[in-house]
Amino acid sequence: MSTFDSLMLGFEVAFQPAILWYAFLGCVVGTLVGVLPGIGPLAGISILLPVTYGLDATKAVIMLAGIYYGSQYGGSTTAILLRIPGEASSVMTCIDGYAMAQRGRAGAALCISAVGSFIAGTFGVLVLTLIAPPLAAFALRFGPPEYTALLVLGLVMLAYLSSTALTRTLLMALTGLMLGTIGIDTMTGHFRYSFGIAELGDGIGIVPVAVGLFGLGEILSTPAIAAITSAIAPKLRDLLPSRTEWREAAMPIARGSVLGFLVGLAPGSAHIISSFLSYAIEKRISKHPEQFGHGAVAGVAGPESANNAASTGAFVPMLALGLPTGPVTAVLMAALLIHGVPPGPTLVNDHPKVFWGFVASMYVGNLMLLALNLPLVGLFVNVLRIPYAYLYGLVIMFCIVGVYAVNNSVVDVWIMLAMGGLGYLMRKVGLDPAPLVLGLVISPIFEMSLRQSLIMSNGNWTIFFTRPIALVLILIAALLLGLALMSILRHRRDWRAKLAESAGES
Amino acid sequence: MGEVGPCHFASPCRYSNGQIVTLRTDHVIGGVAIALGILIIAISGELPVGSLSFPGAGLWPKLLAVLMIVLGLTLIAGAREGDAFAAIRWDDVTHALPVLALAAAAVAFYETLGFIISIGVMVFCLALLQKKPVLHAAVFGAGTSLATYVLFTMLLRSPLERGLFGF
Repeated sequence: MSTFDSLMLGFEVAFQPAILWYAFLGCVVGTLVGVLPGIGPLAGISILLPVTYGLDATKAVIMLAGIYYGSQYGGSTTAILLRIPGEASSVMTCIDGYAMAQRGRAGAALCISAVGSFIAGTFGVLVLTLIAPPLAAFALRFGPPEYTALLVLGLVMLAYLSSTALTRTLLMALTGLMLGTIGIDTMTGHFRYSFGIAELGDGIGIVPVAVGLFGLGEILSTPAIAAITSAIAPKLRDLLPSRTEWREAAMPIARGSVLGFLVGLAPGSAHIISSFLSYAIEKRISKHPEQFGHGAVAGVAGPESANNAASTGAFVPMLALGLPTGPVTAVLMAALLIHGVPPGPTLVNDHPKVFWGFVASMYVGNLMLLALNLPLVGLFVNVLRIPYAYLYGLVIMFCIVGVYAVNNSVVDVWIMLAMGGLGYLMRKVGLDPAPLVLGLVISPIFEMSLRQSLIMSNGNWTIFFTRPIALVLILIAALLLGLALMSILRHRRDWRAKLAESAGES
Repeated sequence: MGEVGPCHFASPCRYSNGQIVTLRTDHVIGGVAIALGILIIAISGELPVGSLSFPGAGLWPKLLAVLMIVLGLTLIAGAREGDAFAAIRWDDVTHALPVLALAAAAVAFYETLGFIISIGVMVFCLALLQKKPVLHAAVFGAGTSLATYVLFTMLLRSPLERGLFGF
């Protein structure tokens, strides 16, 4: 079946009324999640995951993915109108987006942001459509040594691209890998670190950890948010940018789309990194860099396009290789696994309706978000008027309800509370919880691949260097580690620190 | 170097020759990582490591523990440029601890009292914590838990916990 025919199959699935409804629901919830500071897409997806148990795999993953890319749209709304980044990836939009709003160009900023997000999201889906199937076909040649090498590269790349120190990121990833060892060892049947608690026999679930670290942990770190008594709500007729603004936005949108998608392929918080990178690049190549920080259109168009393209690009390794590149795709992968649909190279052939229905729904979802975010911007912004005193109680309630519903187990909720406390402490000492979640998800795959590789080779470690694909992946990982170590040894600020500093100056 | 003067988390240590050693966050993180790695190795005693040709259940955790110890030592060794531990502000702990305690209490009674009562009381207390009027907090707590119960049980068909009282 050609790609076009497969995509048509996908649209047949995506245009079913029930699928459209769940895509819409995901987009609305995602936009709300993006608008509300303190609740990110990860917490939103994790909390709603149990609600999807009564749905089939296609509806579940479409709704949950809608929350993810919907949140990228919603985060820009508060960034532009209130200088509050609803999402971490919207931090850069705060700078020039709010400056545009102060000049009376809030509508133009919102429109450029929404249209740029739509173009970037659609571009991302197009490229996903083209490269995911051949990548999946290539990955069918992967055996345990290749998967082990790929996971090593993934972790090293995550650490290298992270804005926090390499050592700290690796330590968090190791902690996640360690948490993933709790439970029954599937190869030998030994119970590991369950301390006689039956519920821990199946291991620690991703949902309690993710909701605890990102949902509850954020609430514990946020004593209060100042009440929003009024918010700018541009009228529909004021939304259109001028011709000059469109001209200024065109190339940044194009560059942001390509950059974001490429960054999205790599492990790490791609949607955040891509927006920072895009801003820095646009400022560097602009003929008027002095405008940045004072309402430069490129400062809105580029980052917003980049973060949407990145969120789409992140799906490529998840769907084609079964490799999550961040905590959000890790939870989405867990959702697929719970519904009996293992992501990876066999997904395209074994579950074509799920894969192509998901891809097609992203085209539809981007259109829905464009329609939602422009006319209804006033409605979404008014959600911020809910006093934090009531809002945080709601969030904690949903955290408890969502986690309990996974296995009807109060042990899971206790784990969530413990992770919430840990998340609070981690924020205090400047540790990023994302690598921990990633480590937790990939730990079983990593261990299984490593042990199978050693069994295959009869204990010979050189298997990772004698198989060409594994060797290439290991060499790339070694190169990245070497680059990072060089900058540490020379006490030089590398490109990540400079980028963070440059963003901080703006 | 000379003797180290009295020191604690809130102040640097001073050697008798005047050199100051500041406790940094990387020292603390590194120390915790090392302690965790040692603990894991200690409690993994019964797990068989196996052989390289057939790795046992204990190989992977012990390998990770060793790597954690190595990274912990690396963090401590490079800690001189990190943030001082004493510089961390803890003023939000007066928010975090009561919130965590209230959530824990709700969870402790969740299966006994059911969703409506345990969560309703939790939301009420959380609103009071933010100094909202008692009546407003009570109405919000009760209304939220009832509305959520209806939403999940009837619309989303994902039943919530009923306690001893049947609701």
